[in-house]
Amino acid sequence: MRDLGALRAEAFPEPAVRARARSGAANAFPDLDGYGHVLFGADTAHPAVPADPLDGLRLVPPVFVPHRLAKLVELAREPMYRDVVLETMVGGLRSTLPLYLSAFGSTQAASVDHGLAASRQAGRLGIPMVVGENVMPVNGYGRIEDDPERSMLGRINAYLAQALDGYGGVVVQQSTEDADAEVWNLVYSDPNVQALLDSGRLAFELKVGQGAKPGLGGMTVLDADTAAGLADAFAMDPVFGAGGHGVVLRCSTPGTFTEEILRQQIRLMRNNFPRAKVWVKLPPARDVRAAALVAWGAGADAVTVDGAEGGTGWAPLAFLQHVGLPLGECLRRIGQHPSCLLVSGRMWEGTRVAKCLALGANAAGLGRAALLAVDTDPENGLMNLVDCLALELQMLTSALGKYHVGALAPEDVWSAEGTSAG
Amino acid sequence: MAQAHPAGSPRAHLSSPVTRSVLTIQHRMLTAAREFLCRRGFTELLLPIIGPVTDPGARGAKPVDLDYYGHRYKLMTSAIMYKQTSLTTFDAIFCVAPNVRLEPLETSLTSRHLAEFHQLDVELAGASRDEAMQLAEQLVGYVVQQVLTHLPGELAGLGRDAGAFADLLSESFERRTHSDAVADLCGMGHGQNPDAEIDWAGEAMLSQKASRPFFITDYPKGSRGFYDKEDPERPGVLRNFDLIAPDGYGELCSGSERENDYPTLVARIRETGENPAKYGWYLQMVREGIPGSAGFGVGLERFTRYIAGLDSVWQAVAYPKVPGIASP
Repeated sequence: MRDLGALRAEAFPEPAVRARARSGAANAFPDLDGYGHVLFGADTAHPAVPADPLDGLRLVPPVFVPHRLAKLVELAREPMYRDVVLETMVGGLRSTLPLYLSAFGSTQAASVDHGLAASRQAGRLGIPMVVGENVMPVNGYGRIEDDPERSMLGRINAYLAQALDGYGGVVVQQSTEDADAEVWNLVYSDPNVQALLDSGRLAFELKVGQGAKPGLGGMTVLDADTAAGLADAFAMDPVFGAGGHGVVLRCSTPGTFTEEILRQQIRLMRNNFPRAKVWVKLPPARDVRAAALVAWGAGADAVTVDGAEGGTGWAPLAFLQHVGLPLGECLRRIGQHPSCLLVSGRMWEGTRVAKCLALGANAAGLGRAALLAVDTDPENGLMNLVDCLALELQMLTSALGKYHVGALAPEDVWSAEGTSAG
Repeated sequence: MAQAHPAGSPRAHLSSPVTRSVLTIQHRMLTAAREFLCRRGFTELLLPIIGPVTDPGARGAKPVDLDYYGHRYKLMTSAIMYKQTSLTTFDAIFCVAPNVRLEPLETSLTSRHLAEFHQLDVELAGASRDEAMQLAEQLVGYVVQQVLTHLPGELAGLGRDAGAFADLLSESFERRTHSDAVADLCGMGHGQNPDAEIDWAGEAMLSQKASRPFFITDYPKGSRGFYDKEDPERPGVLRNFDLIAPDGYGELCSGSERENDYPTLVARIRETGENPAKYGWYLQMVREGIPGSAGFGVGLERFTRYIAGLDSVWQAVAYPKVPGIASP
């Protein structure tokens, strides 16, 4: 069957994501049609991106399970995988799951409708939602624009209208360029957002970089008319020339950071917005550990690391294929750490999330998978996808003899180098 | 949006005897401040109220954007950059500058925030922080003395006891560092972030304990604007100050020795998260050279509130703009 929807993600397991978005948890299992007459096993002919150490890891259950005994005592019966608790704190926000909705940015694929559909479903799920850096400069804020639904406030209101009481939150991203738009100041002083502030569910994310193109700023392709309207705020590069049908590349700067600049930016965020949580998004850089430690040391509630697999995808080919650390290597370099670590990049199913949690992450972000899911089913696609992912997480965690996702640890994974699964 | 006027209606506020007394006192305060500064050789300038950039240092507040012939301009949140660059004309300047800051709504509960207010801005070329603090102390003392001398009836009518200023007029203002203030607050059971400005509640607690105005100095970098000079002897500590009124009235004035070194300013602007490109005109002047200076801004309405003994700062304005309230 041909998948419905307008989006394509050829470098991503698109059919599998769409299948989950259509029918949810059933997709944690092989196709029932094959039951009894098809043999399954690892697909060695089509390995995943080989450079990511996460793909070389296996989750390895033990025989002896003291955590299960503790749960058995608590429940007075043998625990089941549905007894695994998924609720966790995600960057200072209470979340029903160790998941959050990543920023989509303002690429064409992340259309306003997709953004709204994902916002509603993230609200219903009770997971935090990150609103991308460029939503406001490109679509407006929404207080006095003609079409407020398309704006940043439209996204926030869509989330709030369906939000699960006491859970989740909205994380507003800002980077060097849109500091000019003073997005955080606007949100923080907006009466429409007071409910989030009063319930401790507003966070600001400082975007230091991103996975798809570490070392570069944000990039989108714009038609000439739109570009003209944004020429004051962004650099426009006519890289597509005459054959580009009038479209240009909109570029942000990556911003200049030293340890001191990062430290002071975070302190200033805490000083200026004391009631908002502070998140810091790092690219998969070679000094990711040093940067993360500076961020936590300056008081960030969470550090988000976007692996080189991350991003809604649009980036120079050179960067997509040859630049940045894979997420597994970022996690290895960060190692032991003092505070909340969030990860994103090619997340859509339970094993990758579980491996990341075992290696020190507290939660994982859904980006492309969420977009494909709402493209498949605008009403329930993300809910279904997450339903399936949550079931897998519960099964995997209980198989590892644990009953809270936060208990996953390096001992639960094994690699051919023999570095873990002790 | 909340009610249309904090006093019920513009007419009720404007025709109130309290408002008339308060604005009479404020008029006298302005006259006194001008006398004081002009006698010391300061020139009064009229500084812009719109420009391509403004002070980003205002704690969480949103500057107002406006469309200036297709360019995004700002209403001034403070005149700081113009104060510094004006010293290429005169060595000592002051102005009564209107400022607009769309403050976070929580500030409507502090009794001392307005979305539109005025600062008595003072800047002195070649001055140190100590000289600026001395000047601020003398200015405040002079203005208080002038109001007490000329308008005892107005103060009495407002129920303001002149004895409230006895310590102010007889003793110099105490000085304490930010880290001492943080330690005081922690000792009082208040969890003050040591890297940040003193929060509203903490400031009220410190103010409540005092019987005369006092300075807090040496704020940490990351809590203030990029233009406050970092102490070269003590990295991370700024050569700045706040002047806090006693009896719970809180902050009256902020000031500092200013940074005027071009590469340092560019790095400091980055530390506030911004692209220095938007400060083009200012950085160009700094690069070509502006005098080192120190200065301060006294919140005129807050100062009025303190002298008149008002419950809330909006009472010190003819047309108050309380954060979040859409009044005329």
